[in-house]
Amino acid sequence: MSATTTDHGHDDHHHNPNFIQKYIFSTDHKTIGIQYGIVSLLFIALAFYLMMVMRWSIAYPHEPLPEWMSWVFSEEWRGRWLQDGKVTGETYNMFGAMHGTIMVFLGVVPLGFAAFGNYVMPLQIGAPDMAFPKLNMMSFWLYFVGGAIMVGSFFLESGAAKSGWTNYPPLAQIADAKFVNQWFTGQTQWLLGMVFLISSSLLGSVNFIVTLVNLRAPGMTWFRMPFFCWAMLVVAFLLLLAFPPLEVAAIMQLVDRFTGSSFFMPTGLYTSASGALDVAGGGSPLLYQHLFWFLGHPEVYVLLLPAIACVAEIIPVNTRKPLWGYRSMVWGVMVLGFLSFIVWAHHMYLTGMGPMVSSFFQVTTVLISVPSVILLTSMIISLWGGSIRFNQPMMWAAAFLPMFGIGGLTGLPLAFNLADIHLHDTYYVIGHFHYVVAPGILFGLFAGIYHWYPKATGRHMSNILGHLHFWPSLVFINLVFFPMLIQGMAGFHRRWYNGGDAYLEKSVDGTNVFGQTVAEFIDLNVLMSTSVWCLAAAQVPFIINFFTSFFIGKKVENDNPYDATTLEWNTPTPPGHGNFVTEPEVYRGPYEYSRPDYNEDYYPQWVAPKVEITEEEVVTVKSERTAH
Amino acid sequence: MNEKILDEIPYIVTPRKDTGLTNSKIGIWLFLASEVMLFGGLFSGYIFLRVYADYPWPERVLPIVPGLLNTFILILSSVTVVFAWAMLKLRKWNMFLLFMGTTIACAAIFMAFKVVEYKAKFSHQGVRLEDYTILEGHVHKGAVDSQGHIYHLDDNGNPAKHHADENHSKSEKGGAEGKMVYQKTSIDQIVFDTKDISFDLKMFNDGYVNDLLTQAESLRAQITFDKDIKYTTSPDSLPIVVAKAGEPVTLKALKEAKALWKKTIANNGAVRTEELRRQWRVAKHDNPDAPNWQNAQNIKMDMDAIRPNLVASKSVVTAKVEPHVAFLLDPKTTNASAKSAKRKDSTLMSGNLIDSSMELGIDGVDFTFLVQRAEEKGIDPESAIEKSWILKNNPQVRAYWEKHKEYIAELDKKLLDDADGDIIKAEKAHHLERYKMTWKEMVRYGSEGETDLQWFNGFAGPNHKKEEWAKHFPDVSLPREQIAFESKFTPRWNNYYAIYFTITGLHGLHIIGGAIVLGYYMFCPNMFRKNPDWLANRVEVAGLFWHFVDLVWIFLFPILYLM
Repeated sequence: MSATTTDHGHDDHHHNPNFIQKYIFSTDHKTIGIQYGIVSLLFIALAFYLMMVMRWSIAYPHEPLPEWMSWVFSEEWRGRWLQDGKVTGETYNMFGAMHGTIMVFLGVVPLGFAAFGNYVMPLQIGAPDMAFPKLNMMSFWLYFVGGAIMVGSFFLESGAAKSGWTNYPPLAQIADAKFVNQWFTGQTQWLLGMVFLISSSLLGSVNFIVTLVNLRAPGMTWFRMPFFCWAMLVVAFLLLLAFPPLEVAAIMQLVDRFTGSSFFMPTGLYTSASGALDVAGGGSPLLYQHLFWFLGHPEVYVLLLPAIACVAEIIPVNTRKPLWGYRSMVWGVMVLGFLSFIVWAHHMYLTGMGPMVSSFFQVTTVLISVPSVILLTSMIISLWGGSIRFNQPMMWAAAFLPMFGIGGLTGLPLAFNLADIHLHDTYYVIGHFHYVVAPGILFGLFAGIYHWYPKATGRHMSNILGHLHFWPSLVFINLVFFPMLIQGMAGFHRRWYNGGDAYLEKSVDGTNVFGQTVAEFIDLNVLMSTSVWCLAAAQVPFIINFFTSFFIGKKVENDNPYDATTLEWNTPTPPGHGNFVTEPEVYRGPYEYSRPDYNEDYYPQWVAPKVEITEEEVVTVKSERTAH
Repeated sequence: MNEKILDEIPYIVTPRKDTGLTNSKIGIWLFLASEVMLFGGLFSGYIFLRVYADYPWPERVLPIVPGLLNTFILILSSVTVVFAWAMLKLRKWNMFLLFMGTTIACAAIFMAFKVVEYKAKFSHQGVRLEDYTILEGHVHKGAVDSQGHIYHLDDNGNPAKHHADENHSKSEKGGAEGKMVYQKTSIDQIVFDTKDISFDLKMFNDGYVNDLLTQAESLRAQITFDKDIKYTTSPDSLPIVVAKAGEPVTLKALKEAKALWKKTIANNGAVRTEELRRQWRVAKHDNPDAPNWQNAQNIKMDMDAIRPNLVASKSVVTAKVEPHVAFLLDPKTTNASAKSAKRKDSTLMSGNLIDSSMELGIDGVDFTFLVQRAEEKGIDPESAIEKSWILKNNPQVRAYWEKHKEYIAELDKKLLDDADGDIIKAEKAHHLERYKMTWKEMVRYGSEGETDLQWFNGFAGPNHKKEEWAKHFPDVSLPREQIAFESKFTPRWNNYYAIYFTITGLHGLHIIGGAIVLGYYMFCPNMFRKNPDWLANRVEVAGLFWHFVDLVWIFLFPILYLM
């Protein structure tokens, strides 16, 4: 329960950690943030690679995987999981399940919440560190172990989990059931990995909330907190309260796997492989779906809010204007957080819950678009009339707005249960949520990386490489995801490992149940897959930029290179242990740009007002307060 | 404490002024909020499973008195933990130790009750017959010789002659002379006289292989490879011999064979991939504009060209058992027919199925599921019970059932009087007992009411070692084809037990974890001397957790024990 011990001195050389304490088992929130960032970026790269293999199978289902992708695997692994070099349906399922799992639980959430949150949030509220630094370290290492378990499962006899990132039973429970030793199967390792990840996020979220409540610097009142911190507070509550039901689901599935119980196994289940299953039955697959999506939907906002938060920080800095509607955004994000707990069953319209339940969740789902629109609109209006500084972070932030807009708007048809009957489980769904996650959230997080890189390293990232990263990414990511919306409306199912080839009349094993629709849109597969590979190539400049700028990037001129107002720019660059040289004190709101009564176009939170206060100023302060 | 020092976390001991809270206090409340969601999820799961159960949900099957005692024990410990905290605040270390010690002792007693309760379930056998009769009881122990003859054990635990052996057509030999080789077992195993075994290199399980080898050894038989086990891993290399025909099967040899077999797969995969790539290059060169699926139709691998590069890749290794002996196989992981038995690890055994019936000492007969099924089909429950396999085949159970019906009729009459003739109210009052005989009733019916069982008898379930009870439990030999589902009273048996074990198990882990943390503070006298307020804070925080664990039990007890 405790934090660091009391006998720490107040100057840095008093505290002399060795390499391992400083960089591996560090308790410093900044180091932990960077650890999270680098590990999660690696996981994102891995999940991206899995998807490249899948896209090959979709575009060229009868062709062997080309050497430039298959060299990663050992010859034995290839012998087992590829058939004559082609991606098999089973391998595709495995990669699909792990692509989703890694991207969501090991990639984007740790990058957005844990990496940015850890690095930026304590700086922004003027805290010396997180409230429980040791728990913070444990949180990272639990995440690391969970990730290692997940990735390690690829090398097991059974391969990794293969039942979709949602791991729905009874399919998930039948998968790998033939193995005698249930411990070392991909499905079990997936569940164990989730238990570790959930524990990690539990520790993290408790830490974040306590820090936000108790460690704000003097003068940092709730409504002087930057929007970023508000978003982190909401995300932490979502993780805190939404994850436990998934932990319950994972535990129940583990019990099913190990003791042969039937929590999620209905009566009378029969498979062609093993006939009538030797289980008691009477369980409910629907229960799993409820427990999963009770997490699953808040999880969407756990993914999204850190990206919005980054963008909301970057826009005021680069437009030199206050964030428009700061207070409505804060209330919006809180309402969003609350509503996200009561929309989960819109993922389950087709499970036969009944029209009453569906209608309820349809209403709440449509309601939740209101706060989302408030957030997005406020940010768009913030651009209005600003003389925008288009540096690297701002470009990504600007691209985030329309991309996330498309992602959000394509979600509306899915919210209506009648429209969802047609669109459910098609590529339209994939297109929709990837528009939110990839060109939306990931662009927002890229913006964050470019924005805070100078604070973390003391050097700017290269502008040229940044352009080489941004423009191809923007083009190709749209070429990947927009055709999905088209294919989805034509009825392409999201889990076809051969991209619909089996439904072509004249294909090798065609059955032609879809008439001409498949033939019409199947060629888009090649376009999308090619774009994916180009998108991968477009990330090379970023990787080079990320690592080389650390050594050769342009040095920052001062601690506040962007002339920003929030507290993280009041620290040394990079900030040392304990963050602040003198204890910060906060005098005003977070986005005081271009104040007419101040001689510079930014008025940092930490700058004390002039000592002699004239009557006029008192009036200004008062009117400003009432304006809020 | 000077809270102005940078790089030091403030508000560990003293609360922050505007929030009025220390960090750990906020932290524990948040943690508990998350715990509420965790147990909330489990309780929701309980409701969901119970509401949608398509089988009779077991009601009041757990011993209530120990559960009730546990409730009071936990409440007591919640009180003592507060006293312990107060003693720290009053700076009385020894009193703190006393109260904290009491708390830990309560936790230990609670867990001891749990262990007894769990153990009774793990040794109690449940069987659901094909006609949905549910039998409870204990599986008899016995011995099986190398020929597959089944013996009961005498008082010294040696094999005695089996009462059913008279029906065995095979000639008796050996008997209980002491020279015979036999294995002791529960009589619910598949007894399979095995001649040949084939192991699947892809799937074989170390434990299963070891089990077969040990059984063969104890029955003085040997499992030997019947062909040379050799693999060529690439076309240019020489064959590697793992074992020659006639050599004994070992786990090591199987593992070596598996490693080599994997290499043959890798070689063949690489060769075939290369050929397929070549074909695609040709196809694309000839038909550059054709869509992928069209080219796919024309692709054919030139098998003649690549055959010299392929190597033999057999994943099945065969062995024989000499002399052939009867192996005991777990019915849950074996799929047996008259001539073959397939284990879960794909090991295939061929020979003759001798026996797979289960010998059960019955201490409970439950027709509620059968009645539910009958009612679903519109059949009269009473006649469905009359037609049940157990009543037709076991006269003792039949006799008990007649007495049970008399007892129920008496009860009906009495209840009807009590309920002033309200039939529905009267029926509801004992719907749990109507179609069900418990072990206590069996003892009563069997002893003609002479053995009277008290409320404290048998917290740990029916005791088959206690002769005066056990003699009233009917023995039955259940043929495997009558058994639809069998399990100990573990999570496998049904979802009531699954959720019971899951929730109480997690709760038990919370008790253990909480007790360890609270107990640890008893070993912090140094902290008490240096910073007693900090220690008190910690005890307070851990005590909050302890209250929560207590609260969970207060919800748990009624839903699992009373409802």
